[in-house]
Parts: sequence; structure tokens; C-alpha cells
Amino acid sequence: MRELTEKIVIEGKSIVKDFQLGDTRTRVLKSISLKVSQGEFVSIMGQSGSGKSTLLYILGGLDTPTSGAVFLNGIDISKLGDEKMSRIRRQNIGFVFQFYNLIPNLNVEENIMLPLLLDGKKMRDYKNELAEILEVVGLSDRRKHTPRELSGGQQQRVAIARALIGKPQILFADEPTGNLDSRTGADIMNLLQEINQESRQTIIMVTHSPEAAKSSSRIITVSDGKIS
Amino acid sequence: MKIILKYILTNIQERKVRTAVMLLSILLSAMLLFVSFSIGVSYESAQRKMARGMAGSATVSVQNVTGGIYAGDIPTLPVIQTKAGILEGTSLYHENGYYETVDLLAADIDALNQINKPRLRNGGEITNFVGYQIILPDRFTSKYGIEKGDTITLQIGGSPIDFEVLEIAAYDTVFLRHTRGATALLPLETLKEILGQDNGYSEILIEAAGHTTTNDLISELRNALDTEKYRVSEIVNEMQIAADARQKSMPFFLISFFSLTMSIFIIYSSYKVITLDRLPVIGTFRSIGATKKAVTRILLLESLFYGCIGGLIGIPVGIFVLKAILQGMGKTLSQGIEIPVIISLPGAFLSFTVAVTVSLLSAWLPVRRASRLPIKDVVLGTVEERHIPHPLIVGIGTILFAISVFLPHLASGNMLYLAGGFSLLGLIAATILVIPIFTNILSGVFERIFGAIAGNEGRIAARNMKDNKNTTQNITLLFISISAIIAISVVGNFVTTYISDVFHGAELQGFADGRMEPEFVERVEEMEGIEKVLAVYVFENTIKTGGITFSRLEGTDNLEWYSSMLALKFTDKGLLGQAVASFGNKERSVILSEDCLQRTGFSVGDEILLSNGTEEIPYTIAGSFKSRATDVEAVIPAYCAVSDFGATVYDFLAYTAADPDAIMVQIRALFGETSNWSRTVEEFNSDALSTVGAFLEPMHTMTYFILLLATVGVINNLLINYMQKRRTIAMYKSIGLSNRQNRKMTLIEGASIGLIGAVIAIFVSYMEIQTIFLVAAPKISMLPELDLWTFLAAGGLGIFITLLGSVVPFMKSRNMKLIEEIKFE
Repeated sequence: MRELTEKIVIEGKSIVKDFQLGDTRTRVLKSISLKVSQGEFVSIMGQSGSGKSTLLYILGGLDTPTSGAVFLNGIDISKLGDEKMSRIRRQNIGFVFQFYNLIPNLNVEENIMLPLLLDGKKMRDYKNELAEILEVVGLSDRRKHTPRELSGGQQQRVAIARALIGKPQILFADEPTGNLDSRTGADIMNLLQEINQESRQTIIMVTHSPEAAKSSSRIITVSDGKIS
Repeated sequence: MKIILKYILTNIQERKVRTAVMLLSILLSAMLLFVSFSIGVSYESAQRKMARGMAGSATVSVQNVTGGIYAGDIPTLPVIQTKAGILEGTSLYHENGYYETVDLLAADIDALNQINKPRLRNGGEITNFVGYQIILPDRFTSKYGIEKGDTITLQIGGSPIDFEVLEIAAYDTVFLRHTRGATALLPLETLKEILGQDNGYSEILIEAAGHTTTNDLISELRNALDTEKYRVSEIVNEMQIAADARQKSMPFFLISFFSLTMSIFIIYSSYKVITLDRLPVIGTFRSIGATKKAVTRILLLESLFYGCIGGLIGIPVGIFVLKAILQGMGKTLSQGIEIPVIISLPGAFLSFTVAVTVSLLSAWLPVRRASRLPIKDVVLGTVEERHIPHPLIVGIGTILFAISVFLPHLASGNMLYLAGGFSLLGLIAATILVIPIFTNILSGVFERIFGAIAGNEGRIAARNMKDNKNTTQNITLLFISISAIIAISVVGNFVTTYISDVFHGAELQGFADGRMEPEFVERVEEMEGIEKVLAVYVFENTIKTGGITFSRLEGTDNLEWYSSMLALKFTDKGLLGQAVASFGNKERSVILSEDCLQRTGFSVGDEILLSNGTEEIPYTIAGSFKSRATDVEAVIPAYCAVSDFGATVYDFLAYTAADPDAIMVQIRALFGETSNWSRTVEEFNSDALSTVGAFLEPMHTMTYFILLLATVGVINNLLINYMQKRRTIAMYKSIGLSNRQNRKMTLIEGASIGLIGAVIAIFVSYMEIQTIFLVAAPKISMLPELDLWTFLAAGGLGIFITLLGSVVPFMKSRNMKLIEEIKFE
């Protein structure tokens, strides 16, 4: 477990993002800058179309800014090529999506182990880590099940486990409770909070829900492409 | 209704690639089916034209068994329309060291014009045809640069005779022939003078009056003529021609069968995706009050469009392809005849109907399922694929496969064809059912192998194939395509071999057909280099048993040689020795062909009464046989042929020799001017191959269309695959899959799909070939020699196509926008 420090894990500098919709060019992010320290649990909130998810994807390296830069451990990831960026996604970043994004024909443990397998690791060398993370997300008895055989909440737990198996520096979550009922959503938020508090895992989460945002240590509100 | 139509047309317009693929698959299927129908009819027509050749509209020939025949010998009967006397002779044309046989023909021109009018190149009529004039076919004159008005020299009876070329005729009517050489027309009086023939014609050709059938005409003539003096025979065996055409159309129909199967699969898989895509729209329709039936109809209207347009375009394209094929075919034929393009209207109608039906039925299953989904699930997007347990599917698949394999073994007669059809469909259907579980098993095996070879990417790629519908869909289409190509190639090659190598396995190296006195045979036996000589008595349509006449009965004392010379395959091999002994002992034994045995209903061991119209003599059936080298129905000892039926001269002679060509030249010389048909087996095969090869060439052309259809199907599948998979690829990329890793995994997956598809296709096509030949077995006497290379090459091609197709999804996924792909369910 890492110790909480004031070290900046990720920093966005003057992030601008434009989208072309037909003939219209729309500026979604208007020069956003922010810093997130290690161990922080940051919620990004805002109305629909405010640009909060776009900001999350740019910070997580799934999208690139029109201008500006994103520094992860001091390295500008917004200009990296496919091979280097893929490695960062495998080793430094974990992502949790609203719709879980599990591979349907792989079982729970295979889905969880994917980032490590893609990183050339051997499954047998990570048995303990797998057992540990399954214990954390409460799915030890579901390890051989396929996503089809799990409930929405369970699928999201698998997605969280997958995001954490490689011990990433940052966990990004995009509306992790958006597709769940309120009770299951609360369970997931408790889990994320627990992970953040117990292992000092840095989390940046986009959410609509003020209830969900309560779990975080800091709330950033994006409005009209700017942090307000 | 207008809105619905607009909705359908918009769908068609928006999905250009998918529309193109579906239209192309239906179009190609309709086209292939139409060509299959029409090529059979065209082939039959060409065969009939070739078979009739000299006879034209005449259907019956009358010959005097001892010499010439006069037109007056044939009584005037109401069943006779025209009688045309034909005088025949042979000559040799020599040019630049090359010898070519020129058969000479003469007839009363008025009568000839009525049954088979020669078509002059300048379009005129034959007039002032007297003296040493000659009319030659254009194929012969163009070959040697002979022009109208030129003089040519022919060797007749060893003497050179000059003729003036009066006219040049088209290579058809009397000039058309089955064998090498040419036919020339001479003035009747001139040929009579040259041959010294003063006792009439060689034969009289008779055209039936009105609606008189050939059988009725033959029957009337036999009643009116002294059958001991005159031989009345059918010129063209229409049934045989139709049967031949059917046999040669078989590969084409096989191609159609596979193309339709592929189309069904292409449309079915496309519609599965289309209905998935349209679920929100289906939900909207249902939520605003559309019934299940209405939704089904709306979606089926679109498939009806594909069926109608594909069918309507497929037929004109088919006509174009047919014309191109037949034109090429005519040019390659050694006889160079023009093959008429016969457009089969029932074939066109059926092809269109099949195109529409296949399109509708293939779409119906997924559409029906989609329209029956609960409205709530559709609207909320919570539709889940129905999961049928593996054991049930595997059980059904295994049972269906077993039934498909064994059913043709159990059926006989006409049921055999039904069983064969069921078996072919059943094998494909059963394999489709078993493919998912088979893929899962192999995925486990590959996981270890690829893991060891290609690391984790290999392991994940193999693991990804497990329970993956895209993968099984790709394997299914690939297996159908590859097995189609294998089955068509094997059957096509077999038909080529079967028809062009009639004497396959037979010992004889040459044969002569003509009247041969015992002295003639003795002289052949004395020729230098001769090894075996087998002379045979032949009775055509003269020996009967009960009410059944044997089309050909032969007499030989040496059944052992006869059997090896003509590759007789005894049904019960144990009876061969017994039959040989009984023939050697001059017992009254007869062996019958299997077809004849079936036709007559006799059994081996039965005693039958043979008669040539005078007395009935008992013979014992000593065995039955099958042979491709002869169409003989019955064989009796030569001793009996002489004593019981008065045979005096041999009619057929087969031989083996150190130099079969040298023997053939001497045999032809021995015949002199006597009519004969003498060939070495090599010559015969060469003639047959050039004819049959040309007829089968289109089949190879059509194989390319199958390949095209297979490629269309694979591309369609890969597109569907990509559309369904891009979200998965995006998921992988979101957790760190690089483009390099994606490429590696895509290629491994492609190669694995290709390999599994190829292995399944090789196995299933082998089973299909067994079924095809099991169904054809009663009509053929040899089994195909399966060439491993054909199987491997087709399998390799499948893997190559899949690998090539893998490039598209990889290229497209390189620059995919991850967020767009993964953000929405």
C-alpha cells in the first residue's frame, strides 16, 4: 500500500477540446487546468453536455485534447504514440465505465486478469493478487462465471477489480453507478470509498449523483466547458 | 404504406455495403441456378444436334445386312414422311505430310434437302452438282486454305482422284461428326461410279410422318420388312441423350446447391445483424401499436426487395454468362460446332422464385424472433440472446450427422436420390450445429499451443474464440465455401475423367467395329507386334427374352479375356471363374449387365429363353456385371451365338499390341472401302477429351463464381464481425491493448478460424463426396480417386482468404474513436 503524499499524480494544463458536428465546430472544454494528488478521490460533476466525461477521458488518455497537455507523473501523455500509451493504460491507469465493458465470453477471473495478460504477465504468478482483489470486490465465489451470469452490480465489481489488478496509480470511473439501482449504486460507492481509504488509491470519478459524490474527498464542477 | 416503403428504401440506401453484399449473393445464386438449368438444356440440344449429325430430321435408318439397299425396298407407309438414300465411302486427304480421313457422302439432293439440307456458306442452293465436284465443310477448307473453285486430290481405294470444290458449306447438318476427319458431299452418280456400287445405297434414312413416334416407325418398318434381310435401327437415342445431359448437368446443379446454401447463410447472418440493429425501431413500432405480424411484414418487405432485384438482375446476367460460356465451349470443341444458347423459361422462372424464396426464408427466422420479443425488453434495450444448452445442440447435431451419413446406405431406387439430397443438407445443417462446441474444444487446445508460441496475445486470441458467435459464424461460412469448392472440384474432375476415360481399367488398346470374316481376324492375329485379339459376335436389337429385346448382345468364347479387355466388374466376383468355365465349356450361359438385370427383373441363376424370332433356347444367367467400356447388355458363348443364332461374321474386335497405332493402320487397310469404325484407345480418349473437356470447361468457370460468392460471404461476415467486434476491440484498447497486440491477436484469430473452417470443410466435403458417389453408384462403375492436394489447396485458400479479410478489421480499428465505441451500450 502506497503512502499518502502530496505528490501530484496527474495534472491537466490548459485543456481545450473541440468537436466537429457537421459544419459546426463546438468547443467542449475551454482551457481547463487541474491537479490531482496521490490518494485523492475527486468527483467531477456537471450537467449533461458540460464536458465532464470528455475531461475524464482526456485525463485518462482515452482521448486527446485539441490543445493543452496532460501530465502523468510528469510525463505528457497527450502526445504519446499508441504503444507507449497502451503500456501506460495497462500499468498506470485503471478505468471503470458506466456499462462495465467486460468481455462477454471471458469469465470473471479472465476479465480481471486481462490488463496483466496484455502486459505479458503470467496468470499463475498473480494468483494471490487475483484472490485478494476478488475478496475485496466480494466475488470469490463467482470467479468462473461469465458476465452474462452476473447482476449489474456484480459486473461493475468485476470492472473495478479489473481496473485495480495492475495496482494503477489512478483509477478513473465514468458514472460507475449510472446503470445501477440506488442500493447497488450505494454498494459500489462504498466499495470505491473503501478502496480509496484503505489503499490510498487515487480515484477520479465522473458522476451525476450528488449522493455518489459525497464519497469523494474533492468535488470539481464543470460548467460550460470550464471548472467553476 | 408510403411511409413504410420510404423507411425500407432509406434502410437500403443507408447500408450501402450490406445492401451490395446481400444483392450480390442473391444475384449470383439466381444466376448460377439459371445457368445450371440452361446449360443442361443447351448441352442436350448440342448433343442432339451432334448425335443427329448426318440424319437431320430422320430418326430411323434401314440397312440391308448383306449389301446395298434401294429406296424402292422400303414400302410406302403412312408413317413415313421422307426416305433419303445415302451412299457412303472413305478417302484420305494428304497435305504437308499430314493425313486426314475424309468420309464421302452422296445422296439424292432433293431427299437430302428434305431431311437435312446442307447450309452453304454463300447461302445458296446446291445446283448443277455433277461429275467430279465436291462440297466441303468450312472447318476443313479453312484448315487447309482451300477456296471455292480449287481442285483437291483425295486417295480413294489407293488411287488419287481430283475434285473441283463446288461449294463450301457450314460445319453442321451432314458435315457434323463425332470423330476426327471431315465429311465431304459428292454427286450421287460420281460416288457410285468411284465405288463401283451398283446395288443401291449404303442405308436409307427415314423421317417419320406427323406425330409418329420413333418406336412406332421402327415397329411398322420391322413389320413391313424382312427382318432377316434388313436392319431397322434408331439413329438417335433420345433417352440416352437426355440421360447424358442430366449426367453432365450434375456438377452444375451441385454448384447451384452450394451457392444457394451460401446465400441462405449470408442472408441469415446479415439479417441477424440487421434485426439487432433495428431493435430500437422495432421497439418504437411495437410501442405505438404495430402487431408482431406487422413488424415481421415490414422487415420481410426489405428482404423481398433483395430477392426480387437479385433474381431479376441475376437472370439477364445469367444469359450473358451462358452466352459467354457456350461461345467459349463451341470454340474449344474439336468438332467446332456452334452450341445454341437455349434459355430455359421454366429454369428462369424457377431461378427467380428460388431467389425470392431463399431471401424471404433466410430473413424470416431472425425477423420472426425479433418481432416476437417482449416490447419492454426491446424498448429498454435489455434483450438477451437466447441460450440453448450445448448438450442439446450437440445431441441433435450428432444424430442428424449420423442419419445423413447412413441414410443413403439404406435407401435404394428413386428413394436414393431423396436420401442423397437429405444427406447433403443434413451434413451441412448438422455441422453448423456442432461447430460451436467443436470451436470451444479447439479453443482450449489452441490456448495452450498459441500461448506457448505467441505468448499472452496468442492465449487471449484463442480464448476469445470460445463461446464467440462471430467466430462460429465465420467458421460456418468458411466451411460451407471450402467444402463447396472441394466437392465441386472433385465431382468435376471425376466427370471429366469418367467421360473422357471410358476405357479406364480396360486392357484393350485398340478396337475395330465393322463386318469381319474369320479370315480377317486371322490376319490381324498374324500382324507383327500383336498380343491379344478378341473377336466378338454382335447382335443389336435382335435377340429377345420374353417381350424384352437386348439392345446389344455379344458372343465370345474367351470370357476371361473379354472381361479384362473391357474391364467387366462382376457384381459377385466369386461367379467370374464359374462363368469363364461355363463359357469355355460351351454351355448355354449368359451374363447380364446390372442395368439389364434390373430392367428385366431376372436374378443370377435363373433360366431364361433367348430367341431371335424363330425358336426359344434356354440359357442360365451365370452372373451380372458393370462396365464403362461397353454398353453391352448380355454376353453368351460364341459357340452358342453361331449354333443358336446363326452368327457368321464378327462385328467387333479388340486388341492389345506393342504398337497399337501400327496395328490400327493395318486394320484400316484390311477394311479397305468397307464401312468400319476403328480407333486406338488413345485416339478415342483424345477425341472424347476434347469434346467433354469443352463441355466441362464452363463448370470450372462456374467454380470461380462460387469462389466469388464465398469471398462475398467472407467479406460480409468480416464486416458483420467488425461491426459486432469493434466494441470489444475498444474495450480491450481501453485497458491497454496496443495496435501491435491487436494486429497479432487479429491475425492469430483469423488463422485459427481459417484452420478450423478448413479442417471441418475437408472432413464434411469428404462425407459429401461419399454421399454424392453413393447416389451416383448405380449409374457408374468407378469411384473417384480423391486427390489430397485438392483438399489441402482449398483449405489453404480458406485460411488465406480469412487472413486477408482480417486486415480490414485491424485497419479499421487502428484509428477507432474509443469513447464513441465504448460509451454507449
